[in-house]
This record gives sequence, C-alpha cells and structure tokens, in this order.
Amino acid sequence: MVGFPPSGVRVACANAEDLLREMDWIGVEEALVYHAVMAHGSPIQGNQLVLDAVAQRPRLHPTWALLPPCTEELGRADALLEAMRDGGVRALWAFPREHHYVLNRLTMGSLLDEVATRRIPLLVPRGQGWNIIAEVLADYPDLTLVAVGHGPWGEDRLFRPLLERYPRLYLDISRYELLGGVAELVDRYGAERLLYGSGYPYWGMGGPRLMLARAAVSEGDRALIAGGNLKRLLEEAEL
Amino acid sequence: MNPSKIVQEFLEEGRCEACPVVDMHAHFGPYQGIYMPAHTPEAMMAAAERCGVEAMVSSGHLALVDMGLGNAEMATVTEAYPGRWYGYAVINPNYGREVERELALYDERPTFVGLKFHPSIHQYPLTGEGYEAALGFASERKLLVLTHTWGHSPYDSPSHLEEVAGRYPDVTFLAGHSGYGEFDACMRVAQRHANVYLELTAAYAVGGLLEEMVEGVGADRIVLGYDLPWFDPYYAIGCVLMAHLDDGARRAILFENGRRLLDGRRRI
Repeated sequence: MVGFPPSGVRVACANAEDLLREMDWIGVEEALVYHAVMAHGSPIQGNQLVLDAVAQRPRLHPTWALLPPCTEELGRADALLEAMRDGGVRALWAFPREHHYVLNRLTMGSLLDEVATRRIPLLVPRGQGWNIIAEVLADYPDLTLVAVGHGPWGEDRLFRPLLERYPRLYLDISRYELLGGVAELVDRYGAERLLYGSGYPYWGMGGPRLMLARAAVSEGDRALIAGGNLKRLLEEAEL
Repeated sequence: MNPSKIVQEFLEEGRCEACPVVDMHAHFGPYQGIYMPAHTPEAMMAAAERCGVEAMVSSGHLALVDMGLGNAEMATVTEAYPGRWYGYAVINPNYGREVERELALYDERPTFVGLKFHPSIHQYPLTGEGYEAALGFASERKLLVLTHTWGHSPYDSPSHLEEVAGRYPDVTFLAGHSGYGEFDACMRVAQRHANVYLELTAAYAVGGLLEEMVEGVGADRIVLGYDLPWFDPYYAIGCVLMAHLDDGARRAILFENGRRLLDGRRRI
C-alpha cells in the first residue's frame, strides 16, 4: 500500500519510490499495489491515485477497489472494465466494511458475475470476516477470490473448509505464520492456492520472505507461491 | 538487497553459525483456539534446530489452564533436552493455595528459569495481590518473569507492568508482545526500568517497530520469541533480519540478550 491511512501504520509508505526501495532491500521484484485512499477514503479518488502512483513503474501493478453497482459511483460495469483495461488494472479489491455494503449477490448482482466470468482476481481482506468471504463465495462459487492477510491466531479451522469447496479461492501468506502451515497447505491443497504477500507497510516484508525461503516445499512450489501463481492469475484475467 | 552476511546465510542455509538464536517465549502442546500441526516435543525441537536455536524457554499450554498438570508436564518435557530447552512455571493467581504448591516445587524442576504470568487469560491484574507471593519468590531468586502484556488491557497493560517493575527491581521482567497495541507506552516503561525487556512475539511483524525499539530502548533490551509451536521461527527471524538494523543489533536480539539472561539462571 502506498499513501497515508488515517491510522494503523508506524511508518507510512509515502510513494512508489519508498515501496521500491523496500522491495529492493528485501529482494521482492514486483508487487500488486493499492492506495490508502482506495480503502480509507473513496475509490472514486483512490483508484486514480494508485494509477498516478505506479505510472511508469513496470514493477508495480495497480489494483482498484470495487463499489456496489446500485449507486454507479464507479460507472456501469462495461465502462469500469474498459477503464481497467486502459489503466492496466488486472485485480480488484473489496472493502465492504470500510465502504458500508454487503458483499453478496443481492448487492453486487451481475457485476461480480462479470468479474467471475472474466477471472479477475478479487482481493478481500480476511479482517472483513471469514463469514463475509464464505457468503460471497456461496453466491459466486466461480469467483477468483484472494483472501488477504489472514491472521496468525489459528484460522485454519475457519478457512480450510472454504479451500476444499471453492477451487478458485486463494490465500496470501503475509500473516500465515503457523509453524508447518505452508508445507501442510501445499501438501493438502497444492501450492497453486498460495500467494506471497506482505501487507507492507502495516507489516514488514521480511517475515513471509524468510518463511517462504525456508518452507519445507519443493523449489517448484516455492516459485509458484513466490510469484508464479500471481502472474498466472493476472494473465488469466480477461479485460 | 540487504547485504548482511547473517541475512544471506539464513536465506541460503536456514541458520547462521555466527548468529544462533535464543527463543525466550515459547509454549508447548495443543491449545484451544488454534490448529497446530507441530506441537509435539519432537516437532518443536526439529523446528528449533532447523533455524539454529541454541536454547528456548517454554510455558505449557496445559499449564495456562491447569498449572499443576501443565507445569509438571513442562518439567518432564524440558528435562529430556538438557541445556537446550528450559521452562517457566505458570502462575495462576486465582488459586492461591495451588500457587504456593507450584512455588514449592520450583526448586525440584531444574530446567525452570523463571515464572510465566498470563493476566489476560487468568483475568487477574498483574498488580493484584494474587501475584505477590510469586513476585516475592522471583525477587528472592532474581528470576525471569515473562508476563503477557497487551495494550489497553485491564489486566496487563504497560501501566500494570510499570507498577510491578518498580516494586520488584530484582525481578527481570520480559514484556511479552511488548504491550502489543501500546508499544510506545511499553517502550517508555523499558526506558524507565532497567529490569524490563521488550519481548517480540507478534510485535516483530509490525512494520517499522523494531527500528523504533532499537533507537528508543536499545538493542540490548530486546529479546526474541514467537510462541512456538504457534508461529514459524523463520517468520519472526525474518522480521528481525530484514529490519533496517546493523548486524550487531540483529545478533543482540536474536541471540546475545537471551543467552545473557539465561546464563545467570540456568541450573542445568
């Protein structure tokens, strides 16, 4: 994330230069990026701010936040998709808690059908609640959904049933600290379901970096988690 | 890329000869709200050995619920790994008579190096009378007391820690989680009380915090922990290694401080 959220970070990542500097320090080549205003302000402004922030920086890939179609704040679906195409945006976020909506079929209607059909990854912070993720997947079982930043305090009993039922549910490992957890998930569900993430600057990049480097998985699986899976998902997105 | 040789060695080899690890905040066994695939002694020790842990100190999960059963279990487990695995005796201040019994057993458990308080789980303030006997015991023996601390808690906030740290200067307090959520207050407590160390479990992940701790309190007052068998040691170690610190600070946090604290208290 770039920008200045109202609270919650000790040192903000002010801009793309700061982000790239930290990525270089850790050894991270590319990143999906959102702007603080997308979540903590309005996507109407934030979606443009992230494009401005990453312009001319090919290592940084912009994402946008969705809003429900009922208010048409981001335009109609076809216009939104066209703007995404123009901006090089190949993944979306949903922040239903911050933006006060219910992430289900009643609210999102055919917009998420379109997102699912086009295989556009939808990133949902797990802090919004696993029940929210379960509900949207029940309504859109083919949705490509990435649960982001799930907490370290033992959530396997919550998310594993979802992994088993929904083959296009993915997890990022930014806070998946469980001892032996990555190797076990790879063994049971396949490395294809896990993505490296950091949550920077809320969290440091180094924890998941070393954890993945030393995880008891094959080099091929490690490469998938480190970047191969995300590249595949972004390439699959049809805009 | 971070040019540290310690960092490169951990990335490539998984451990570093020049920088072993001492883990001051571990547990043991299965627990309530979390699935843990590696909670057996063998799995925990294997995880520790992979990343070069020289010594670790645990309190039993069972002891957090039933201190009599759990402390006995922890003593048995640690005694199977002499010189590498140490224990804290968990104190539940809600049971005064049983606390007396646990303190009386302490000297018979040579792997124990201190006491573990968890005021939030036991819903009893760190400053309350129920902890007095244990604190007096720890003071007489100059023991370590690892206490859970959490920001704004009614039981174990940094302000609670400040009160007991002032009353018991001979006890070395490890502020578990560094007062998570009230980090600045906990750092101020450590600045004012030389007998308070910041312990990193969970706190290590917070972006930019380690650098602030080292600048504000000093690298020699920070110890590593990661709630083993909850969390992967590599996650915690990675946070320390990749923070913007020099190798001296990294080595102090990962190894030297913990070893120094143990050296005066190990009985085996």
